[in-house]
Amino acid sequence: MRQVFRTLAYVIAAGVVVQAAVMVYAISGLGNFIDEGGVLDKAAREASMEGQAMFPEEVGFMLHFFNGAMIIPILAILLLIASFFAKIRGAWKWALAVLLLVALQITLGMSGVPFLGALHGVNALILFSVALYTGWRVAARSRSTRAAAAGVPTTPAEPLPS
Amino acid sequence: MAAAPSPLARRALAGLAAAAVVVPVTVLWQTSRLSAQYSVTEMGVVELGSGPRVPALADHGRHGGDHADSPGASLVTVDELVETRTGPADVAVTLTARSERVELAPGVDVDAFTVNGTTPGPTVRATQGDLVEVTFVNESVPDGATLHWHGMDVPNAADGVAGVTQDAVPVGGTFTYRFTAEDAGTYWYHSHQVSHEQVRRGLLGAVVVDPVPGAPEAGGPDVAELLRDAVDVTAVVHQFGPHRTVQGTPGETTVEVSPGQAARVRVVNTDNGAMPVWVSGAPFRLAAIDGTDVHGPQEVRDEAVVVTAGGRADLLVVAPDDGTAARVELGGSAAVVLGPPGATGEPTRRPATTLDPLTYGEPTPLGLDPDTPTRSFEYSIGRRPGFVDGRPGMHWTVNGRSYPDVPMFTVRTGDVVRMTIENRSGEAHPMHLHGHHVVVLARDGVAATGSPWWVDSLDVGQGESYEIAFVADNPGIWMDHCHNLPHATEGLLAHLMYAGVTTPYLMGSATGNEPE
Repeated sequence: MRQVFRTLAYVIAAGVVVQAAVMVYAISGLGNFIDEGGVLDKAAREASMEGQAMFPEEVGFMLHFFNGAMIIPILAILLLIASFFAKIRGAWKWALAVLLLVALQITLGMSGVPFLGALHGVNALILFSVALYTGWRVAARSRSTRAAAAGVPTTPAEPLPS
Repeated sequence: MAAAPSPLARRALAGLAAAAVVVPVTVLWQTSRLSAQYSVTEMGVVELGSGPRVPALADHGRHGGDHADSPGASLVTVDELVETRTGPADVAVTLTARSERVELAPGVDVDAFTVNGTTPGPTVRATQGDLVEVTFVNESVPDGATLHWHGMDVPNAADGVAGVTQDAVPVGGTFTYRFTAEDAGTYWYHSHQVSHEQVRRGLLGAVVVDPVPGAPEAGGPDVAELLRDAVDVTAVVHQFGPHRTVQGTPGETTVEVSPGQAARVRVVNTDNGAMPVWVSGAPFRLAAIDGTDVHGPQEVRDEAVVVTAGGRADLLVVAPDDGTAARVELGGSAAVVLGPPGATGEPTRRPATTLDPLTYGEPTPLGLDPDTPTRSFEYSIGRRPGFVDGRPGMHWTVNGRSYPDVPMFTVRTGDVVRMTIENRSGEAHPMHLHGHHVVVLARDGVAATGSPWWVDSLDVGQGESYEIAFVADNPGIWMDHCHNLPHATEGLLAHLMYAGVTTPYLMGSATGNEPE
């Protein structure tokens, strides 16, 4: 279960990376589309949301939505459940933090308020860091446990048990 | 620190904690699932809008449709709410829907649903007061289809909503729509069965109702003068992938108009989002919104008109005297070019200024008193995570609840109804009430001061709040939904229900009726 927990945390972090990548992929495709004389208004955008893409990179917007509103939240819930069985001290707190950051991220992303949209970008980095750390501290703890068993002093950089 | 718990206790604790997450989610998922067939009358939350109670509604289909035990409650079904005029129709047409490939332009063809072989289908043209009879034939639309008369106050039986006012017409089936063309103006028809897909693929067309000759012109003497010999242009705009089409053709549509002559361009937005239109090379007037003439429309220049999804805007444009063309810009390369043969005009970019119907035109009496409404409703749109029909997602809510727990706005015939539509969902919604014209009283607390702004499709932006009013004068069960049709499939809808009306039709996966 430790491995499951660790993998889920890393996959969530990777999911955030994918989110950033597909968004810029789509926006750059949109830039080219407009550059070549394409015009985007609400009517055109809604038609394309229905699967009739105006430019191929538009798939990035859809991936961003699907990954962010469906995949990552499900992974975050699974991470929380896994944390209960992972026998890692404090794991559930970190998993809950990830889940709350995901919920906050979706709220910020869908608020329709540009300033909150900017915070969506900032929160992405926080979520990425927390998810990465949540996975990393499992590995770090495993190493320190092994080290302790072998009688080797642990490094002061080891994350403190919470 | 306390002693470490035993492994068994630890495991039990972990199991309980997991259950605390899994059980509520599972319950939410399970309870959100819709039954395989259900009636619109059983759906949602009855709202009376602080108006008088309606006894006939007390057991409105909520006890398995058995009303025998409710004395005095005589129910009519939607099937009985038909056109009262009998005899031969003034306008009789047959509209046949087909699934086929259509060539929009050389080398550009799409999988479409056509009406009489084209998309858009033929324009149904009538004169005000005409009795219209449309025989609808579904030749090959696999899921079944219907025709809804968008913006027309037809009798409820002719409203064309699968699962509410009729069953979807299966392949090989027919259905007859009969109604009086009560109001002059620009309207449209489209399927209201799996509408998000069928409308997208083009199962639609325009309806134009001309005023009775000699009828007074709401626009005033200037407009009447211009309209006397105006060229009448119907511009059904529809997006097929990257192609914005006008009457099924991408790019420019040229219409011959003599210098100094006027053209009335009836723009129909059949898409799911708002569309700005503007005029290059000439001033214009916004002669009508959603079929209703604007009272005293001023001439404007360099302003864009935002046409709501599902809405219509009639632009009155005079071709320039110098022999060049005026262009009605419809976004991208799509435009209607108005001028003498061979004339061209310079395209312009969208003007920064947007015409605001709240202040446009001259005021005139509404014909109803919104200050003493019989009922006042709230239609508050939000969004929150959850399940609808077992699907997880960020779902739309109406008055805090998601589908199917949406409001059933309940009225009696003759009620004056006020409604506040408020949007806190993060995205604009083009709200469409069937079977009624509604008038906009105020936006964000600012009262309307222009011509009465009558609509059937109203774009309510994020953070906006509209006060509207209407007279409940068309008994039936009417949808009141977002015309960004995928949003309606996601549950952004409610119903306007007249007391004492019920429906024998059912929707749900087992019925084949899927209105959105």
